[in-house]
Amino acid sequence: MVGAMEIYMLLPKTNCKKCGLPTCMAFAVGLLGREKKLEECTPLFEEKKYEAKLAKLKEIVAPLESASETGLVIHPEKCFGCGNCVIACPVNVAAEPTRCGAGLGPESEKVILRVEDGVVVANNLQECKRFGPNKILCNACTATCPSKAIEFV
Amino acid sequence: MTEFNYKTCTGCSLICEDILFPDAGSGSVSQAKNLCRKGQAHYQALFSERTGPLVEGSEVSLDQAIERAAEILRNASAPVIYGWSNCTLEAQEVGLALAAKIGAFVDDPSSYCEGQLMERILSGKIPSCTLDDVRNFADTSIFWGSDPSSTQPRHLSRFSYFPRGEKRQKSYEEERTCIVVDVRESPTARLCPNTTYRVLPGEDLQFLEAILAVLEGKIPKFGDKKKMIELGSIIKKTEYGVIFPGPAMLVSLQDQMDRFEELLRRLNEITTFKVVPMTGQYNSRGYSQLLFDRTGRVKGVKFTASGEAAEAPSLVEAVKGADGILVLGSDPLLDLPLGLARSFAAAPIIAIDPRRSLTADVARVVIPSAISGLETGGTALRTDGVRVTFEPSMKTNQLADEQILTRIMEAI
Amino acid sequence: MAVDVKVVTYRDIFQYGAGKMGLHSEEYLRLSASIILDKGDMASLGIAEGGKVLLENELNRVVLNATASADKPHPGLAFMIKSPWSNQLEGDESCPAGASGFRGIQAQISPSSESITQMDEILQRLRA
Repeated sequence: MVGAMEIYMLLPKTNCKKCGLPTCMAFAVGLLGREKKLEECTPLFEEKKYEAKLAKLKEIVAPLESASETGLVIHPEKCFGCGNCVIACPVNVAAEPTRCGAGLGPESEKVILRVEDGVVVANNLQECKRFGPNKILCNACTATCPSKAIEFV
Repeated sequence: MTEFNYKTCTGCSLICEDILFPDAGSGSVSQAKNLCRKGQAHYQALFSERTGPLVEGSEVSLDQAIERAAEILRNASAPVIYGWSNCTLEAQEVGLALAAKIGAFVDDPSSYCEGQLMERILSGKIPSCTLDDVRNFADTSIFWGSDPSSTQPRHLSRFSYFPRGEKRQKSYEEERTCIVVDVRESPTARLCPNTTYRVLPGEDLQFLEAILAVLEGKIPKFGDKKKMIELGSIIKKTEYGVIFPGPAMLVSLQDQMDRFEELLRRLNEITTFKVVPMTGQYNSRGYSQLLFDRTGRVKGVKFTASGEAAEAPSLVEAVKGADGILVLGSDPLLDLPLGLARSFAAAPIIAIDPRRSLTADVARVVIPSAISGLETGGTALRTDGVRVTFEPSMKTNQLADEQILTRIMEAI
Repeated sequence: MAVDVKVVTYRDIFQYGAGKMGLHSEEYLRLSASIILDKGDMASLGIAEGGKVLLENELNRVVLNATASADKPHPGLAFMIKSPWSNQLEGDESCPAGASGFRGIQAQISPSSESITQMDEILQRLRA
């Protein structure tokens, strides 16, 4: 998972404010939090001297774009289908205490994580505790994965 | 309210019963729910390379294949029946009747090293419990030489670490400890790095003696002393502990299982500790139980002409001298070490298998069968001995193993 | 130049899946005809990541792809997924059903310029 400093090092570092933020560091943080898009730093795209850095930035930022609002990314090719995340997810357990709470597969559509075709899939991410104004840093699903198939960016 | 038509998976010995196959009607397992990667591969494989009846590589009718199989077995003076663990109890019963009829030597892949533990569990020498007990009561799960994440993927999420249970409502976050003893950082070890104990091959006995030492309050002679003492504290605070030994530990301790018995005795003086095996195929335990009930053994047994079990040769000797081997739902050429695999390849083999395998490719006779759990129903014993009965999810024209075995018996 | 190693076998869910889809597939070959070596051992043998090695003992020999271990150092210890490749070097005295690999197989490792041992070759050796 990439950090703000890594992103900052690839930016122009001129604090030109063209993106609407006061500093490049603020832009780096904004990119990470998905509040800013790379295109908003126009010098990166307009000036040839930033070509190599732009290419590297695009690479780094790509997983951020495919991540959900909560920052959840699933790598199905790494997933064991073990169901640890399905059973550990507090939202899953609250929705189905006698099934997910007890180690079984879910029945309702309200759950966030379920195993389909041998790997985990995520739905209803708006229910995830990392989402929304009262978000918390819940990491039940990532901490219980044996293969880093589920991550937060 | 949707009716959930739950089906069963026969991919590993957990025999999960909460599988949904929404597309079963059209003969597909796509969009299956709750199947782990292993179960998915197990079932997905069915749709490719199915066997058809073959004799000496030529396509024949099913009747002809059965006839030829019966001929080989009827004329064999030293027949062997190998495999067993991927069959239902019903099929295993018929198979054992066949073995008794023709005086065959029978054996399965698990009997040697894992069999040492299984025999002690079935006879009560080592205390055991069900996986449901583990979920409801266990606060310490020890994976010794086993990596459930890779072999029984839903083990931790269904039973041993993550779910809530009757006495473990706060589960892994506060009330359960997972301990891994292994030679490498396995995927399971990654989940509990602070309670992983690195033990090199052959050092399991020293590790065991070190546990006994810390339980006596002595300084252990092996391992990181601080970590071993910590392990001792965890054990002393445990209310209901369970050890899940894997083949790595069992092969290491195969001549010292009496020390493992001693460890369990000592642990049970302090608190409650059980052992639950980690069997390979889905009905390994079923076969072990049937054989144990009949003969008092789980290792290779030779049935004599009068149908009674007698002292048996080793698997290596039996296969070298075999003039007819019936392989039931197993692929010895894939799984076994070089010498033994070659011995199998050199003998006349009858392979009963739903799918092409290395063994089926060298077999004299190939008889196609239905896949148990998907295409035929039956009963099996989960790795903890719990009986599971299942119905098929899909229709098939293939015969079930027990039907094939019955027909072979009739033809003999 | 060869180094003595103890090869410990283990089970892997992805190799299992690849095997189920096809024992003659590229994926199954890639995952099975591989060995994980300690970084130090690899350096002392001059083997690069992904380089080929010959694994040999008194029973047999196989050519595999070598990858560097991401684990804590374990000189003299190598890891292979239990497969027909690892079975080729396994004796059946102590555990005929093939579990002795879990305790370790003694063998020598050396760099190799031969091609990776294929499934067909393994089968031929079994039928011989």
